[in-house]
Amino acid sequence: MNLRLLTSVLLCTLMIACTRDDDPTPTPPPTPPATLVVFDPTLVPYQTLSEYNFYKGELMNMEPQDDVLPYDLITPLFTDYAKKKRFVWFKAGSSASYELDSEIFNFDDGAVIIKNFYYDNVQPKGVQRIMETRLLYKLNGAWNFAEYVWNDEQTEAHLDMDGSYRNISWLQDGELKATNYRFPSEAECLTCHKTSSKPMPIGPKPQNMNKLFAFNDGVKNQLAKWAEMGYLTGNIPADISTVAAWDDELQPLELRVRAYLDVNCGSCHKENSHCDYRPMRFAWIETINPQNQGVCVEPDETLDPTFTHIISPGNVNRSMMYYRISSTDEAVRMPLLGRSIVHEEAVQLITDYINSITEPC
Amino acid sequence: MRIFTLTAVLFLSAFNINAQNSCLDALLITAGLRDVDSIDGPEVPLPVCSTGGDNATAGEWFKYVPDATYLVTVSSNIIENAGADTRFQVYSGDCENLQCIGGDDDSGTGFLSIGNFTAIVGNTYYIAWDNNWDSNGFVFSIAEEIFVVPAVVFSNLPIAVEGSSICVVDMNGDFLDDVVGVQNSNINLHLQLPEGGFEVQNQETQQAAYLPSWSIAAGDIDRNGYNDLLYGGGSGVSFMLRNNDGAGFTQVYQTQYVFSQRSNFVDINNDGHLDAFVCHDVQPNVYYINDGEGNLTFNQGGMGDTFDGGNYGSIWVDYDNDGDSDMFIAKCRGGNSPANINQLHRNNGDGSYTEIATEAGLADAVQTWSSAWGDFDNNGFMDVIVGASSFSQGAHKFMYNNGDGTFSDKTLNSGYDLLNATSIEYVAQDFDNDGFIDVLGAGNSIMFNNGDLTFTRTQTGFGNGPIGDLNNDGFLDVVNGTTVKVNGGNNNNYLKINILGTVSNINGIGARVVLYSALGKQIRDVRSGDGFRYMSSLNVHFGLGQDSEIDSLIVTWPSGIVDAFYSPEINTTFLAVEGDGEELPGIPNSVNDANKIELLVYPNPASDEIFITSNSPLDNAIIRIFDVNGKLISAQRLTQSTVNISALAKGAYVLQLTTNDSVTERRFVKQ
Repeated sequence: MNLRLLTSVLLCTLMIACTRDDDPTPTPPPTPPATLVVFDPTLVPYQTLSEYNFYKGELMNMEPQDDVLPYDLITPLFTDYAKKKRFVWFKAGSSASYELDSEIFNFDDGAVIIKNFYYDNVQPKGVQRIMETRLLYKLNGAWNFAEYVWNDEQTEAHLDMDGSYRNISWLQDGELKATNYRFPSEAECLTCHKTSSKPMPIGPKPQNMNKLFAFNDGVKNQLAKWAEMGYLTGNIPADISTVAAWDDELQPLELRVRAYLDVNCGSCHKENSHCDYRPMRFAWIETINPQNQGVCVEPDETLDPTFTHIISPGNVNRSMMYYRISSTDEAVRMPLLGRSIVHEEAVQLITDYINSITEPC
Repeated sequence: MRIFTLTAVLFLSAFNINAQNSCLDALLITAGLRDVDSIDGPEVPLPVCSTGGDNATAGEWFKYVPDATYLVTVSSNIIENAGADTRFQVYSGDCENLQCIGGDDDSGTGFLSIGNFTAIVGNTYYIAWDNNWDSNGFVFSIAEEIFVVPAVVFSNLPIAVEGSSICVVDMNGDFLDDVVGVQNSNINLHLQLPEGGFEVQNQETQQAAYLPSWSIAAGDIDRNGYNDLLYGGGSGVSFMLRNNDGAGFTQVYQTQYVFSQRSNFVDINNDGHLDAFVCHDVQPNVYYINDGEGNLTFNQGGMGDTFDGGNYGSIWVDYDNDGDSDMFIAKCRGGNSPANINQLHRNNGDGSYTEIATEAGLADAVQTWSSAWGDFDNNGFMDVIVGASSFSQGAHKFMYNNGDGTFSDKTLNSGYDLLNATSIEYVAQDFDNDGFIDVLGAGNSIMFNNGDLTFTRTQTGFGNGPIGDLNNDGFLDVVNGTTVKVNGGNNNNYLKINILGTVSNINGIGARVVLYSALGKQIRDVRSGDGFRYMSSLNVHFGLGQDSEIDSLIVTWPSGIVDAFYSPEINTTFLAVEGDGEELPGIPNSVNDANKIELLVYPNPASDEIFITSNSPLDNAIIRIFDVNGKLISAQRLTQSTVNISALAKGAYVLQLTTNDSVTERRFVKQ
């Protein structure tokens, strides 16, 4: 608790400090050293992850090169409890610029977003296992997907765009969990990662990244660090509408729910997206309006007349949202992709939220 | 009509009569208002006839015996109950053996209940309230109205299907519709018995690589007399092939990523073997070509190639009456993607398809997951209700087949312009046997066809499910989970047809069946995979209204063979075997089962030459061409795979191919 408070205070202070635009002597970005990363636009995607040389030493340690910058999201996507290590790399001279709090940065060609999925305490040995590394890289103004599936020896990950499965079990906070882990095919990547049918990252938005992170050279705000690295250019507003951490119990329940809905549901259920023909609008900036959350909104698809609304105030058993996030049936569950087991803690969060709404429809 | 007024309410309330705590102690009541103090009786009303699950722990029981046959409305939808959340069940039978008659959860304001049932004079009915949602007290009313015979009434028959009950089709070769429940490694069969009722069988399967979460289809792809199943899963497709002895299944699957939506069995290349088609949600559609030797070859491309998919409901239908199956795809997608534009793939007769929705007038943007195809005015052409899944880009559309390859919008004043509910399922069937096809889908209703291009919505209280005749009474029933919605029927007549292909696929999928009676002409296409998700009966069903005889039944098979069956008896099931009917004048239909080979003749129509392929050797086969009057036009030895027809006059012909041990015919059209 105290640590969280401290973090919040630090965050505020830092954001004020680093976005003050009246600073008389802005530090010029240091000249970047020659990169050790290998990225030939005419040869990517490489057949193996090691060819990119994103990491120092053993691949499985995921220890990034100096210009491969780690980052984190305030509220992440849930994917069967997999842990994530995220990095970003830009080729020399490339960067990203701010668009809106709620929009992906405008990345130059030569940007690579690297997302590693792994579990700790994997059974039977109780060790870490990296499952996959997903790349989104931008060339000629367009994003491209590359999916690398790690071998059992954890020495290499191979390009595989066709999709596959692997059974895995692990201890999650002491509890044994198991799933038939899905490695996505290229079409599955696109289903979530798109805007107007074109490939697009989801996470790297100011609203999701405006937080502190423990970099090798100290704790800094992520946006400030990107700027310092020369990865983020141009003006960044001082006041960013930032999502809550879904699991931060100090935050108001509604903000945590809205953050969770944004990251887990909003890429399909927002204006101009895959499923915008349904009434919900789950993007962070849209859920200010409870109706966009589905409160007292009747579902188009009546799976069962019991579910009278997307969110029925005070009544989870009549709320389609509760039913869908609690289900593992692939024709019922939400999100549709990326999850095959129930995110128990999120179900509790949504339950608490639905129960907290008292005004009847 | 006896409807109680508020005065009566207050008067009766004053007595504060309590309900009783169990079925045996149920309090006899008549029309009027009743108080329930709280729901605390120990006997939980079971089975649950209403929606809402089985979380109840207590009940309050009443007994009602009508003095005439009434439509009885039970309601807690009364202003003083505002904010309460009630639920009731209605039973007939006795306390040891309660039969669901009705019940309701939420049809009233908020979570209040209102529902009706037909109470037949002299019978005893139990009305039981439960505490599924809360145990608080409330007031309810019972009102009696003079019973008016509706088109049909559905009653509830519990059926203990295990797994997802998404399929009603014959599974043991007796043509009677069975109910199929699918589990991870089991198929739970409820086989309809000729004397009524079901025999339950479980057939263990391998662990399904992909479950039928999104759709299921059935057809006998290996011609062994037992229908096989296709499971359309979220990331792939499994086939469960029924073994030759009917005992058990063998799973066949490939690992290509398929985000399945509607699936169908259909003979895509018209070689006599059933192929499989699967809508892909996020990629071009896929299909599996059956070579008749047990091999299913995966294909992607050429059958709806929108790169990011949007394919939800593939309905195979002969929209242009040229004797082959075309394919309509109900499409849906947000984000301003063109993937939501519906498609119509015309079968060119040579194994190729051309997408012509724009020319046809069916390239709609309405977000639809399935659409109901049928000839709604019995003029001999298939029309379509394009049923909305969302009103975000247009509402329901009734598109009328002009008979010239184009469709006109007849939504206005059709009843569909007023339907304010959406669904992912729309299926055309004649539920009241009046000779006009109705539509099940949206708003827990059937849209009954008035026969004049208009529809009347009748709320049935249940939604879509697999459709078939589960008590063999000639009226179509619907399965909803573990309940059969049994169609109580009426005095209209019917004909059911069991279809058996010999040259064509054994299910006769893709056959056009035409029935002539005093009502006129009705048409059906034999279809595996209708609506969005479910598999419904492969038997063909016609309502006949009050027609007491049938002139003829004409079956045009995918092979081109045409069989005429004259005067089949009404209110029976007729077995139509390919080649067993009489010839229509000028159209030979002779089939000698033992002496047939697989033969593909294409293109059709053709102008200069036709190609002939077969899986049997054709060296030195004799090709004879007859005109429609049976007159021999030409004869030649087959030396290459083509036959020159440039000298023929325009018209229909029969090509006869004779090898050392077979004689096989195919129709073709010279254009």
